[in-house]
Amino acid sequence: MQTIDMTVTVNGQKQTLAVKPNDTLLEVVRDYLDLTGSKEGCGEGVCGSCTVLLDGHPVRACLTLALEADGSAVTTVEGLADGDTLSRLQQSFIDHGAVQCGFCTPGMLMSARALLDDKPSPDRETVRRALSGNICRCTGYAKIVDAVEHAARPEAGCPDCRSKDTGGDHD
Amino acid sequence: MRLPQFDYHSPDTLEGVLALLDEHRDNAGVLAGGTDLLVRMKHRLAAPKVLVSLKHLDSLSYIKETSGMLYIGAKTPIIDVIRSDRVQQQAPALVQACERIGAVSIQHYRGTIGGNILQDNRCIHYNQSQFHRSGRQPCHKDGGKICYARDEADRCNSTCQSDGVTALMALDGHLILNSTRGERRVALDAFYTTDGIHPFDMQPDELLIKIDIPVVPGAVSAYQRLSYRSAIDYPIVCAGVRLVPDPDDAGCIGSARIVVGAMGRSPLFLAKVSQSLAGMRFDDNTAFEQAGKDAMNAAATFAAHNAGADLAYRQAMVEKMVGRALAHAAGQVSTRKVR
Repeated sequence: MQTIDMTVTVNGQKQTLAVKPNDTLLEVVRDYLDLTGSKEGCGEGVCGSCTVLLDGHPVRACLTLALEADGSAVTTVEGLADGDTLSRLQQSFIDHGAVQCGFCTPGMLMSARALLDDKPSPDRETVRRALSGNICRCTGYAKIVDAVEHAARPEAGCPDCRSKDTGGDHD
Repeated sequence: MRLPQFDYHSPDTLEGVLALLDEHRDNAGVLAGGTDLLVRMKHRLAAPKVLVSLKHLDSLSYIKETSGMLYIGAKTPIIDVIRSDRVQQQAPALVQACERIGAVSIQHYRGTIGGNILQDNRCIHYNQSQFHRSGRQPCHKDGGKICYARDEADRCNSTCQSDGVTALMALDGHLILNSTRGERRVALDAFYTTDGIHPFDMQPDELLIKIDIPVVPGAVSAYQRLSYRSAIDYPIVCAGVRLVPDPDDAGCIGSARIVVGAMGRSPLFLAKVSQSLAGMRFDDNTAFEQAGKDAMNAAATFAAHNAGADLAYRQAMVEKMVGRALAHAAGQVSTRKVR
């Protein structure tokens, strides 16, 4: 089967790859680039665990052909932290107990990242709507919504919000 | 889940796309957002040998209004339709429908309005994985002779579950299709074949390039839908309506268009029920309730048991969706008066 050369910037690093036409963006980041943070859940665009940012917008990597991303910038969950320092959003997920089995977490983080880039201080309803394309089968969502809502705007009465600045805020 | 093998082309021009469609015909698939096509390919329900990507055709992504017509390019992302003040003003039903398509992260940036219009008819018995389908005889749409949605049916009863097209048909939308043979314009009312296997009256070498919607002064519109889940789901019943005021009496309905979706092989434009509203007042809720009941009676027989909810429930809800859509649309008239 033919391969086609493509160039894609993943988490700030330019990559030149020879991919097959039927490779999805998810297969390229996981299998070619060993960025296994993005997960394949349903593989048909229903669960959201493969969500990545394509030129800043959240998309299903399992339903995006790799070749369609040629020339674009992709951010995966690995691109959120600065070295070993977690982003404020990631730290908020930990602080609020928003991670249980963890399988949906990369997709949740990317959908939330896109939301916060667009609206830095969203209300709860906006957060719920932005995460409505991501399915979690463990936590029941409340903790996840808390984590996203409070990442941008720590709440005084929230026992899970850290009182001091956690640092690593490169959002 | 792996995709089947295919050759990939991404022409730089519309002519390039049309030439490839002409060359490969039934073997070609058009890739816009991919959120419908790639899922069907993964399920082996579609296996085009050649995928023609519209990636470089940004000229098909626009929303503009000229001489009493609203034009939307077929490749316009759903998010652009939702965020367009012009569409919100002239065709609110379409915005309300687009807001409900898929999940935020699918609909917003990958899914296109053209793709939503041309999404294939669906059936809960057909749109399943290859493994699921391997456990039973193939249905009509799968190349067999059985219908699992309706006993003894001699043909496919798949359902058109597009949100966008239900609203567009209510808005009297037309499609402009292009091919190497030239361009043609077709009313959405006349675009469906009533064949669940090949639902669209469209040749394999044709490409949907734009949609037009007439801008009617004073017209109001609304869309209502019911789905099993509130996100990432298809409607199990939906309704789009447009009400145009009487030129001589702004408090009266001059003409109406009521369309019921997700109940049949195509959206159902209910001409008789629509006509019954002419001459009624915009605040006549009894007339709207009656229209809902009439719509239910007219649309119920088209539905088959294939959309994930009890058939009797879906049929009963036609009344509610139509009644609510009419009330919402009429509400826009009273809001205007207050202003």
